[in-house]
Amino acid sequence: MKIQDRHYPPSAPGPDEVERLSRRVFLKRNTGLALWTAALCCGIKLPRPAGAAEIPDIAVVRGERGAATRAAVDLLGGMQRFVQPGHKVIVKPNMSFAGRPEDATDTHPDVVREIVTMCKEAGARRIRVLDHPLRRGERCIEGIREACEVHGENIVQAVSNKRFYQTAKIDQGRQMKSTDVIWEVLEADVLIAAPVAKSHSSAGVSLSMKGMMGLIWNRGIMHSRYDLHESIVDLASLLKPDLVVVDASRVLSTNGPGGPGRVLRPDTIIASPDMVAADAQAVAMFEWYGRKLSPRNVKHIRIAHDRGLGRMDLDNLRVKQIQLG
Amino acid sequence: MTLQRTVQIACLTLFLGLLTSAAFRFVGWLPHDLFLRLDPAAALLTGISARIWLGSFAAALAVLAVTIFLGRFFCGYLCPLGTFIEGVDACICRPVAVQSPIPANWPRWKYGVLVFVVVAALMGLSLAFLFAPIPAMSRFFALVVLPLLQPALDLLLQLAAPLADKFDLTGLLYLQLPLPRFDNQWLMLILMLLILAGGRWHSRLWCRCLCPAGALMALCARRPLIRRRVTEACVECKLCALHCPAGAIGADPRSTSHAECIVCQTCRRVCPTQAVGFSTGHAGETAGHPGFARYRRMLLLSGACGLGTAALTLSGARHLMGDTGTRRITPPELIRPPGARPEDSFLRRCYRCGACLQACPTNTLQPFGLATGLPGWLTPAITPQLGPCDPTCMICGQICPTQAIRELSPGERIWAKVGTAQVLRHKCLAWEFDRKCLVCDEVCPYDAIELKRVPERKAAVPFVDEKRCSGCGFCEHHCPVEAVPAIVVEPMEALRLESGSLRTKARAIGLDLQIRRSRPRPAASDQGPYDAQNDALPPGFSE
Repeated sequence: MKIQDRHYPPSAPGPDEVERLSRRVFLKRNTGLALWTAALCCGIKLPRPAGAAEIPDIAVVRGERGAATRAAVDLLGGMQRFVQPGHKVIVKPNMSFAGRPEDATDTHPDVVREIVTMCKEAGARRIRVLDHPLRRGERCIEGIREACEVHGENIVQAVSNKRFYQTAKIDQGRQMKSTDVIWEVLEADVLIAAPVAKSHSSAGVSLSMKGMMGLIWNRGIMHSRYDLHESIVDLASLLKPDLVVVDASRVLSTNGPGGPGRVLRPDTIIASPDMVAADAQAVAMFEWYGRKLSPRNVKHIRIAHDRGLGRMDLDNLRVKQIQLG
Repeated sequence: MTLQRTVQIACLTLFLGLLTSAAFRFVGWLPHDLFLRLDPAAALLTGISARIWLGSFAAALAVLAVTIFLGRFFCGYLCPLGTFIEGVDACICRPVAVQSPIPANWPRWKYGVLVFVVVAALMGLSLAFLFAPIPAMSRFFALVVLPLLQPALDLLLQLAAPLADKFDLTGLLYLQLPLPRFDNQWLMLILMLLILAGGRWHSRLWCRCLCPAGALMALCARRPLIRRRVTEACVECKLCALHCPAGAIGADPRSTSHAECIVCQTCRRVCPTQAVGFSTGHAGETAGHPGFARYRRMLLLSGACGLGTAALTLSGARHLMGDTGTRRITPPELIRPPGARPEDSFLRRCYRCGACLQACPTNTLQPFGLATGLPGWLTPAITPQLGPCDPTCMICGQICPTQAIRELSPGERIWAKVGTAQVLRHKCLAWEFDRKCLVCDEVCPYDAIELKRVPERKAAVPFVDEKRCSGCGFCEHHCPVEAVPAIVVEPMEALRLESGSLRTKARAIGLDLQIRRSRPRPAASDQGPYDAQNDALPPGFSE
């Protein structure tokens, strides 16, 4: 395993240094903390979460998608950090298009299976893999359903009947003040987003935030009545995943969300507990329409950052990249 | 319970069971259209009007053949409509024994009806959907009655959800029943009520006096091999005539009108002296069949009515005269299912049993209303606002008993163009309001929506590539614009072939119908709607 640490300011200790904490290091770090706090107060720098310095904000793992998924979540502290024994977990992959894995329109079944496996290991009482697909449900979820069958029947469900949806108020909603959400999502202890990384002709990219539209009943209204990007952020304030695993084993770089478009094969998994950061990382890492773009170029990421739902300032976040051998 | 009642209830149950299993897409070993195949009127009228012979007609022919030996057993035992009518009559009519007998000439009407529909069929107008008993019965239960029960079942599931949740019965918790809705159910109800209204005068009035299938079987049953016989023991108490539900026993209880007799054997059971039996042999009299001489005028008139009805209908402005008729009204919302034959041939074959509508998994197929005039009543039409037509689904063609919708192979299916979508720019969020939407592009299974940049629009706007559009209606269904969506499918350029390959034809006229994933991926240089020179950023991104 080759480890590359990135963006570590000199004042912060590397993972190996934590054990041997000397007075000098302690003072240095406190000085650093004081300076950073001062910087924050002046509005120069946004803070990074205090404590647990060895756990990155974003984990980026290159390698075989199943193993990479596990490694990425492990870098964040393992699934037990997010899922406690007895928890009810909802996994939201993108399984709306009934495409083949090489089309990069849907999350790869291996990634979803690995997430479900890790949730099982962490002692989750109930795991559901849910989506409100655009096309005929049975056909869309076939691949992921087969992949997850080892963990029990009926884990994967395409929910296309109104009775499964329950109205929820969006307290922080600016445009969309309420929406109908799959009821089990509202009752779940843990929500895990597992989007595939793809371009989207009107949202720019379709990642974890855009993916939350697959858990609600009326998506059309987000296009017609509201501003799409504003309402994506409104929805993200209600459905805020505890963990995001972006499947960038393949990236649909052009002509998304439906394709066929140019498919990159970065063999990468991005994981973060911050949905905005995960999406921002995916935007920054890959080429879209042959161009390098910044997270700022995606309006809903920008708004979410400004509204404090998460952070897109990757330079200030700890990103840990590893490559599986 | 008598044998007749047992068989009747078993057949009705089987009929409803087959329909219900079709509603829940359960495929058993019995054909879903078992009873439709047995209906001689449906087979005869479809065969004559479409000038075809189908393998499934053999079953109806067999029913007629057996009738020659056993009499009208179909009416007395098998016919689910007959049993249904009898059940309804039992609720709203007085018992047969206290009803006043219907006038003697009423049962002759059914021959008039038969002549009427056969002449119309000869002219090319199939009226099987109005008069054949089993299609009427199928349609009524599949499209009017079952859709009432499915939401009720769904409600039960909803009530059971907390329990299912508690005991971790995920299968039950997430059981999603098909909840179809159908248009024009009042029209279908009225047609059924017209059939049932006969009960006002007499039990099974429809079967005795109007049913053309009954008339056909009556013609075969004038002297069946096994028939009612009365021995010397008869004391002429006339109890049998009083109880006969078919009015087949005349003033002399020894005589029988076998064409009317439905072999229910009520007469044998009520006879106090056991003088009545059903057997082969020579004992007993047969009532002289009055023949048709006295009714010649009525039959000629019926034939003339059939001729007139057909002529009037077929010459109407709304009649879609096949591919050559140019002067006609084509309703823009009449989108036929994929693989539907040319309109003329389609209407000759379709007897509106409702099988395709019931089987359609997206509920897009709806019974069409009156906009096509009489011959198009209740025919299936794609209604994209209710659901899209899945380009991989072939079920309507597989299930159609008369192949009015052709059964297509998967390779043929995607070439079955049913219409073409067009963008209504004045309603489109991108075109009219310069907003980012493009749901139509997202959902199109054929990748037929092209996004282009146009001057004075910040957002890319949708164009339909009509060579790639199959008219499946995903775009119309998912378009977020309400009332009339901003992209609508019309039956323009639909491919309707009587025979031969849709694929070959479609390729010949330059169509390019492939589903997204079969399409070649664009070359590395292809940026879709993104023009790197002129656009600041790719679609969806912003500064």
